[in-house]
Amino acid sequence: MKLTWLSSVENAHDDSVWACTWVPATDDRQGLLLTGSLDETVRLWRHNDGLARVNTLTGHCLGVVSVAAHPSGRIAASASIDSYVRVFTVDGNDTIATLDAPSSEVWQLQFNPQGTTLAVAGGSSASVKLWDTAEWKLNATLSIPRPEGIKPSDKSGNKKFVLSVAWSPDGRHLACGSMDGTISVFDVARAKFLHHLEGHNMPVRSLVYSTAPLDKRVLFSASDDGQVHIYDSEGKTLIASLSGHASWVLSVDASPDGAAIATGSSDRTVRLWDLKMRAATQILTNHTDQVWGVAFQPPGGTGVRNHLLASVSDDKGISLYSYS
Amino acid sequence: MACVYIPVQNSEEEVRVVLDQLPRDASDILDILKAEQAPLDLWLIIAREYFKQGKILQFRQILEEGSSPEIDEYYADVRYERIAILNALGAYHSYLGKIETKQREKEEHFIRATQYYNKASRIDMHEPSTWVGKGQLLLAKGDLEQAFNAFKIILDGDRDNVPALLGQGCVQFSRGRYSDSLELYKRALQVYPQCPGAVRLGIGLCRYKLGQYEKAKQAFQRVLQLDPENIEAFVALGILDLQTNESAGIKRGMEKMQRAFEIYPYCAMSLNYLANHFFFTGQHFLVEQLTEIALAVTNHGPTKSHSYYNLARSYHSKGDYEKAVRYYMASVKESNKPQEFVLPYYGLGQVHLKLGDLKSSLSNFEKVLEVYPENCETLKVLGHIYVQLGYTKKAQEFLKKATKNDPRDAQAFLDLGELLISTDAGDALDAFKTARNLLKKDGEEVPIELFNNIGVLHFERGEFQLAEQTFMEALGDGIWVKFIGSNAPPDPNVEAGSNPREETQYNPINKLNLERVIEEGYDTMKEADSDNMKVKSEHVEGAQFNHTGKSVFRPIAARLSILKFTHMQVFQQLEENGIAVELPCDKISTLFNLARLLEQSHNTEAACILYQLILFKYPDYIDAYLRLAAIAKARNNVQLSIELIGDALKVDDKYANALLMLGDLELKNDDWVKAKDTFRAAKDATDGKDSYATLSLGNWNYFAAVRSEKRAPKLEATHLEKAKELYTKVLVQHTANLYAANGAGVVLAEKGQFDVSKDLFTQVQEAASGSVFVQMPDVWINLAHVHFAQGNFALAVKMYQNCLRKFYYNTDSQVLLYQARTHYEAEQWQDCKKTLLRAIHLAPSNYTLRFDAGVALQKFSASTLQKTKRTVDEVRATVAELKNAVRLFSLLSVASNLHFHGFDEKKIETHVGYCKHLLEAAKVHCEAAEREDQQNKQRLELARKVIVAEENRRKAEEQRKFQLKKRKEEDDLRQVRQQEEHLERRKEQWKSSTPGSKRKDRPQVEDDDGVQGEKRRRKGGKRRKRDKKSRYETEEAEADEPEEMEDEDASMNYRESYDQINDQDDQVEDNPQDLLAAAGLEDSDAEDDAAVPPSNASRRRRAWSDSDEGEPQQRQNESSPVRENSVDMQESD
Repeated sequence: MKLTWLSSVENAHDDSVWACTWVPATDDRQGLLLTGSLDETVRLWRHNDGLARVNTLTGHCLGVVSVAAHPSGRIAASASIDSYVRVFTVDGNDTIATLDAPSSEVWQLQFNPQGTTLAVAGGSSASVKLWDTAEWKLNATLSIPRPEGIKPSDKSGNKKFVLSVAWSPDGRHLACGSMDGTISVFDVARAKFLHHLEGHNMPVRSLVYSTAPLDKRVLFSASDDGQVHIYDSEGKTLIASLSGHASWVLSVDASPDGAAIATGSSDRTVRLWDLKMRAATQILTNHTDQVWGVAFQPPGGTGVRNHLLASVSDDKGISLYSYS
Repeated sequence: MACVYIPVQNSEEEVRVVLDQLPRDASDILDILKAEQAPLDLWLIIAREYFKQGKILQFRQILEEGSSPEIDEYYADVRYERIAILNALGAYHSYLGKIETKQREKEEHFIRATQYYNKASRIDMHEPSTWVGKGQLLLAKGDLEQAFNAFKIILDGDRDNVPALLGQGCVQFSRGRYSDSLELYKRALQVYPQCPGAVRLGIGLCRYKLGQYEKAKQAFQRVLQLDPENIEAFVALGILDLQTNESAGIKRGMEKMQRAFEIYPYCAMSLNYLANHFFFTGQHFLVEQLTEIALAVTNHGPTKSHSYYNLARSYHSKGDYEKAVRYYMASVKESNKPQEFVLPYYGLGQVHLKLGDLKSSLSNFEKVLEVYPENCETLKVLGHIYVQLGYTKKAQEFLKKATKNDPRDAQAFLDLGELLISTDAGDALDAFKTARNLLKKDGEEVPIELFNNIGVLHFERGEFQLAEQTFMEALGDGIWVKFIGSNAPPDPNVEAGSNPREETQYNPINKLNLERVIEEGYDTMKEADSDNMKVKSEHVEGAQFNHTGKSVFRPIAARLSILKFTHMQVFQQLEENGIAVELPCDKISTLFNLARLLEQSHNTEAACILYQLILFKYPDYIDAYLRLAAIAKARNNVQLSIELIGDALKVDDKYANALLMLGDLELKNDDWVKAKDTFRAAKDATDGKDSYATLSLGNWNYFAAVRSEKRAPKLEATHLEKAKELYTKVLVQHTANLYAANGAGVVLAEKGQFDVSKDLFTQVQEAASGSVFVQMPDVWINLAHVHFAQGNFALAVKMYQNCLRKFYYNTDSQVLLYQARTHYEAEQWQDCKKTLLRAIHLAPSNYTLRFDAGVALQKFSASTLQKTKRTVDEVRATVAELKNAVRLFSLLSVASNLHFHGFDEKKIETHVGYCKHLLEAAKVHCEAAEREDQQNKQRLELARKVIVAEENRRKAEEQRKFQLKKRKEEDDLRQVRQQEEHLERRKEQWKSSTPGSKRKDRPQVEDDDGVQGEKRRRKGGKRRKRDKKSRYETEEAEADEPEEMEDEDASMNYRESYDQINDQDDQVEDNPQDLLAAAGLEDSDAEDDAAVPPSNASRRRRAWSDSDEGEPQQRQNESSPVRENSVDMQESD
């Protein structure tokens, strides 16, 4: 496996780029890259011989921390520091809904594979909010149970601040990572908390389930402790810990073929990890500042053997690689 | 049968004296000689005969009688014989003087000899033999110049005088002019070929001195042919043989020495050489005997010195240093000139060194060095002595010289390297490398310590790859190889474009091995763990794996490693499975260093395994516990870290480093009292000598001073004073302690002495930017704080940014907060906002940041609204930001219900209220601005219309003009035609009259006038329109005025209310001491806020936040000389 650098866009945004995701292709257009930035905009990019900007979408206040695309490729959502989730059409930038659940911040977003639910990491509410995508109503709140013996006034309540979410490939489970390093797994259908996955003691900023058809229970987590953990999310066990990043691991994504994962870190590098060897096989140093997001293009279309990987960074730039 | 005949006086008869049968009593002969008035030559012959027979007394008796005054009188005219007798006496006394050891008697003899020669000279000034005698005497006295003159006088008279030639030869030899000497001896031989062998001895010696050993040898052999018992020749030949330095030669030499010894057992030279031989064969008893004889028989200083040296050496090698010293001393005393015989000085130096008398040893070796300034051994020894005496510089000098003189001496390079470690790591590394290469070249085994040192030096220089290679080479093969996984981190430069095959090559095979090793251990364990083994999936490419049917992801190993931080079970399992887990004890340090290296290059997993391997085999290796604890701490696993330190303390509860680390952790846990006790314990454990303990206490005091939310000035002052005292104490002990200097700077800054503290910080910063191990972001931050406090905002921002980038990979929200605060003070609102948003993004659960962001937005809006001139866009942006501020504050207000953060609800309400008020006011503004904008638009529209109208008009005009022109042209044409017609007519008329044509021209002129008038009119119209425009402008200006008035009123209001809110801010700023403290934005509002102190406490970072790293890191220096702040950490390697 190998990443080959394709192109980079310098100053893709006016300020740090914090989030990226691929919007699936629709009937009338190819898949697009969606990026969110501190400059309060969300931008769309098309890839053919380098990245070309398609559109700049405004209407996001105080920095976009996360973006998510609906499986249909028609709509997308963004979360900003002002704690609003804005749902908009990809092609027209028409606001469909503005989601707000008071007293909870919003961080990472993800649509479930079926596209019926949008999960939003709920920050200090220590919960994940599930929004119905048909009517944009709050469907359920998956709360992390408070450890017993802790008074509500205890500051440690803060530590369960939820930062990241990930849907299992079948959409039945949902994992969320929090500031204190614990990962909580929920049964979505029953809206029930299942268990914690332990091992990190620093914020878990990114989570992703394995895409390999036979390793569906495998969950990858990226944490500020510089480690990437591989969990069996149902067996509650830590399978392996990958060390190598010199600073926080900010983002992790699994390759569509399930054989590798890519990580982005504060140490300004993007690493490609071979899951068989459990070692970094490639270190890419295109970026000059923290790499906030990495995203593999989902396996859309017909028989595309090469997948794209995008990385976005505080250096305002986007880099694109092909994975083969 | 030799005999002499003494003629009987006055007769023809003669008395026959058989020389062999001379009477015992010389008086008998004397009587005869006197009675018969025998010729003086007979006297001499008889005296000489006595001398030959060893009857010295008789010899003297006869000669003394023969030189008595009555003889002189009687034989007054027999001059030559009288002179001969005197000369014989002179020569005799010269000889006595020469061999006499007692100074007084020696001189007496010489005086006597001089007297005789003088007497002889009085008889005949020019007698050569007298001069020869005189020359010999002078030679014996050591007066070479005069002897030379004496011999010269003779040779000037008779250049073939053999005795003089020999004498002069001797003089030249003694003067060291061997070739001259050789010439003289040769001439003597030519003149007198039958001369005794001794002359050839001289030739041999000259040749020897000239380095012509073969010819010397021939000469000596010739001597032996002539005189088979000539000891000197034997000894000389023996020495020559010995000097060949071949075993055969030495054997021959020793045989010759033995022969000499057999011929004459009292030749000191041969004795010495024999003793020397037996010293090397180890027969010390013989050595002693021989040298004692030698000492007894000789008075010759250098020879004696040699003998003493032999004796001393013998005792030296037997370990009897007392006696050795005595004899070396004796030897030194005998020769007294190190130039001639330097060995005893060397021996003396060695023995003194052995006895610990460094000073004496030093002086002796220095004497050796004077003689042999290039001698490596001596240079090295001197280097060592200087090291021990503490003169590192000098030691380095000597060792460097030694390595220069002998670039193949591995030991010297090794020594030099060790010496340089503390001063110049680069040179030390070079020296070590040279030593390693030399050892390798010689096929010797390179000691693991050397590899270790090279590795550590590479490590310190940040050359991790090289360091790792070296460590691996040092460790060789062993179980650890299997545990070191992806040790060679992929080359970051290998990227796009390179051959894909190459890239797959760094398939870290070791990693697979690790898996296998662990799996082997795992197989036996899996049954017990089968519950956990539900993952039965097979990886797509998992078939390549040996263990098909099992998941690629094997839960066991990593779970153990991470959660429990222990591989003990795995190791045990491995042993049970028959795989030996072995770790030779000389490799622990290197293994530990390797682990440190892996840790440093972020391969913490492998590092953990190695540390645990060490602990598995050597559970007392505390440092491994501490490193594991440090790793846990870095991952914020405080609990585990404390447990690990607990384990370490179980091994040694007085281990200062463990205690100190525990203290740090307790502090991190906010366990103040405990932390202080721990630090105290650590300090006691080291008798207060460990600067780190003192430093920690200093930090503790500083924290205590600034932490209390209700600042008690008195308490604060005492704590600060105490902190300062402790820092100073450390600085006194170790003047180069950066952390103490930093601490002192902080205290000074806290007291408002910014300039002093700035200097301090700058110096510390410079000093800290040299080593891989010294990471001091704190000092950068402190420096930035000082810049900030002094109002140097731009510089402060720059400093914060550099610090963030250099040390934190831009991940520290606290430093971002400082930066935001600086922007805030500098009124750079957008930068402030962006910085705060970044901080929030990094630390989403820090509500203080959100609050600050709200405040910044609010302030921005307020200040924009206060501005007298602003654009609509600005006002709009203000409104937007105000909305954001309201949003932020209201979110906080909601969150405060849930007690997530410590903000006072009321205060937030105030902010929300204020912002809302501001927003309303702003709305007015916005409306006004929009109205204005509307007007502007209208105006623009109007202007546009005017322009359009103008344009239309212009077009119409042009149209008209065009038509006019056209008409005119038509007119002209018509006119021309008319004129032509006219002309035709005229022509016809001309025939009658001409004047009518003038009148007909007029209408044309009128037409022209008409066009001009039209133009004039148009210009006037333009002017009018311009007037209209300026009238609009004035209207505008008039319309603006009332609005501005309103503005001012409104902003007055804001100002008032804003001032209330900012009162605290201002108070803080009034107090210079607090300026620094106010570096966190939250201070302005958090004075009475219970939740803020923790961030307050961490507000100023200080030495320890990193020095806790620093200390254990230094621990890996074990085998290298230890730096001053890790005095007690050296491991015996």
